[in-house]
Amino acid sequence: MLSSITQAPVEAHSHNRWEPYVDNGGTSLAIAGADFVIIAADTRQSDGYSINTRYDPKAFELSNKTVIATTGYAADAKRLVEVMEQKAQSYFHKHERVMSTPAMAQLLSNTLYYKRFFPYYVFPILAGLDSQGKGAVFTYDPVGNMERTVYVACGSASALVQPFLDNQVGFANQRAADPNRLLDRETARKIAIDAFTGATERDIYTGDWLEIFTIDQTGVHREKRELKRD
Amino acid sequence: MSIMQYNGSAIVAMAGKGCVAIAADKRLGQRALTVDTEFQKVFPITDRTYIGLPGLATDVKTLYDRFRMRVNLYKHNEERTIEPKTFSHLVSHMLYERRFGPYFVEPVVAGLDKNDEPYICGMDLIGCINFAKDFIVGGTASDNLYGMCESLWEPELGPEDLFETISQALLNAVDRDALSGWGAVVHIITPEGVITRDLKGRMD
Amino acid sequence: MNRFVEQLAANDVAELGMPGSLLAGPTAAMAGPTGHGLSFELAAGNNPAEFAQHFIDAKSEKDSLIKIAHGTTTLAFKFREGVMVATDSRATSGNVIASQTVKKVIEINPYLLGTMAGGAADCSFWERVLGMECRLHELRNKKRISVAAASKLLANLVYRYKGMGLSMGTMVAGWDEKGPGLYYVDSDGQRLANDIFSVGSGSTFAYGVLDSHYRYDMDIEEARDVARRAIYHATHRDAYSGGVVRMYLVQRDGWVPYPLEDVGDLYYQYHPEVQLTNRTESPLTVVPA
Repeated sequence: MLSSITQAPVEAHSHNRWEPYVDNGGTSLAIAGADFVIIAADTRQSDGYSINTRYDPKAFELSNKTVIATTGYAADAKRLVEVMEQKAQSYFHKHERVMSTPAMAQLLSNTLYYKRFFPYYVFPILAGLDSQGKGAVFTYDPVGNMERTVYVACGSASALVQPFLDNQVGFANQRAADPNRLLDRETARKIAIDAFTGATERDIYTGDWLEIFTIDQTGVHREKRELKRD
Repeated sequence: MSIMQYNGSAIVAMAGKGCVAIAADKRLGQRALTVDTEFQKVFPITDRTYIGLPGLATDVKTLYDRFRMRVNLYKHNEERTIEPKTFSHLVSHMLYERRFGPYFVEPVVAGLDKNDEPYICGMDLIGCINFAKDFIVGGTASDNLYGMCESLWEPELGPEDLFETISQALLNAVDRDALSGWGAVVHIITPEGVITRDLKGRMD
Repeated sequence: MNRFVEQLAANDVAELGMPGSLLAGPTAAMAGPTGHGLSFELAAGNNPAEFAQHFIDAKSEKDSLIKIAHGTTTLAFKFREGVMVATDSRATSGNVIASQTVKKVIEINPYLLGTMAGGAADCSFWERVLGMECRLHELRNKKRISVAAASKLLANLVYRYKGMGLSMGTMVAGWDEKGPGLYYVDSDGQRLANDIFSVGSGSTFAYGVLDSHYRYDMDIEEARDVARRAIYHATHRDAYSGGVVRMYLVQRDGWVPYPLEDVGDLYYQYHPEVQLTNRTESPLTVVPA
């Protein structure tokens, strides 16, 4: 870190342009079930070939039924989570109830779009229970395009994980399977772990620790597991 | 866009128990435009050695012709069939000959050697060999293929299980890559012979 | 350089139309044209427009850091029974297929539809604002807004931000007192009326099918078939289009959606002769070595 400060920035960026973004890597995923949702993210934060820290959590509880996970530029991600936490808190105090997950999802979309011309360089996913108690997953691009899905992978290893989820959670290319079947909790958890084990093998920006949040009627449950540290 | 992505391709090879598999998509495009959906990217070199050539289509055709000539010369000079490992080094050498004006192809070789042991390897476009015991991937969907193979592949798969594994790896990988897909072909190389199957895939 | 960019270049703090901006210093705020207080944070420096265009690849033209979901085939045409609107459902970010299930038909209100091509966030955000404007028009005037007025509202909305890198190619379809309405509006400020439009990277393929099979006096089934084939052929040839065919019909009583049709299945319906050998069910056939 120190060397990057003492080095002349001109060397790194020959055009001397203001470079306000860094990709700090990291991977997140979410899988929805009938009455639960799983959202998981690794905790490595890196800059190029160096690891800044092995434990920088990417997933945060916004309420007792919604969790956000952000990959991309860690500083923007941190700021975005702060902004969302503050908005969730202020809604709670104003209306004396917890904001619903779909409302939180639309709020996140607008929050991102209001920085359309100076975006947060983040790839957020939002998971929680909807008003019927069903698992809901929302995915975004950096400027707030939103889509509700059943499962998604985001971040540096998304290209590795997403086809695996298509196959194992969405039953893509499995002719005998019902593509709309939802997974049970234990299967979803195992697939999430398998996905990260595979991603950690090939993606240098993913590893160290895996945090898995399971959200159900009883609230948010957090589990921390080890990933490879190489 | 890199020249390696101009035509689009996805190729994967996997080792099994006494067998190997190599599979490829069939698309030939010009950037976003799909031109051909029956383009051959995997070629037989001997009865039990195949090569997959992901990359620039014009170089795929040229290189295959040159490989064929060199393998025929080898057969005449040596009076024996070339081994997959020997062939890989031939390919590597031919690519390095063009070190400063390379063919834009990253070959994937799969075959059984004279002891019926699986041999698979990959190369970069100037011939650096990457030998693997499990799987080799190449092309525009290589990240997707790495993810699929890393989670689906297991050691000691028989021909039928290897076929299912490589097919699922390829189909699901190309379904997340805009530049490859449009059908696929799988070759399973066994000591008894080669099984070739076409896969139905999404045509979008 | 346009008026907006000039203003931003001249001042560190640019405030347009909205008094008492929350943002000060190097970030500037700007208000929405109708004064409903939309404000966007801008990058510091004397040319935030150039900043936005450098880092954000809204048009998929360059290898920028921030890639915006892109690539599309959308079409809409007027015919005897109303307006048919059809889209694919693929979103790509670079060469990666980000989603196969995008909703590219935006339901502005029960009798107005917008389509999505270009930056997905730009389309959905501004058509959401348009939905609000249309509702305000109803409350103020005690009658529904015309398609012409709605499309012009959208064109004016995005014209305010010309030069800032918005990317939006949309068709506004609906039904008003004059009958069926269909307009094309884009982020350059273009607004056109016509019977047939297609927008997106697959539009050339869709136009090919539409131009050879479209007739004004089609019945609904014929219109559906033409729309379906146009989208299908575009998804087949264009790498950045795919997923499912999403279709809507707009008539006097508003729009109705049709069931989704997977393009992966359509190919084998249109090509029943494609029967591949060696299906998984068939026994292994070994070619002797």
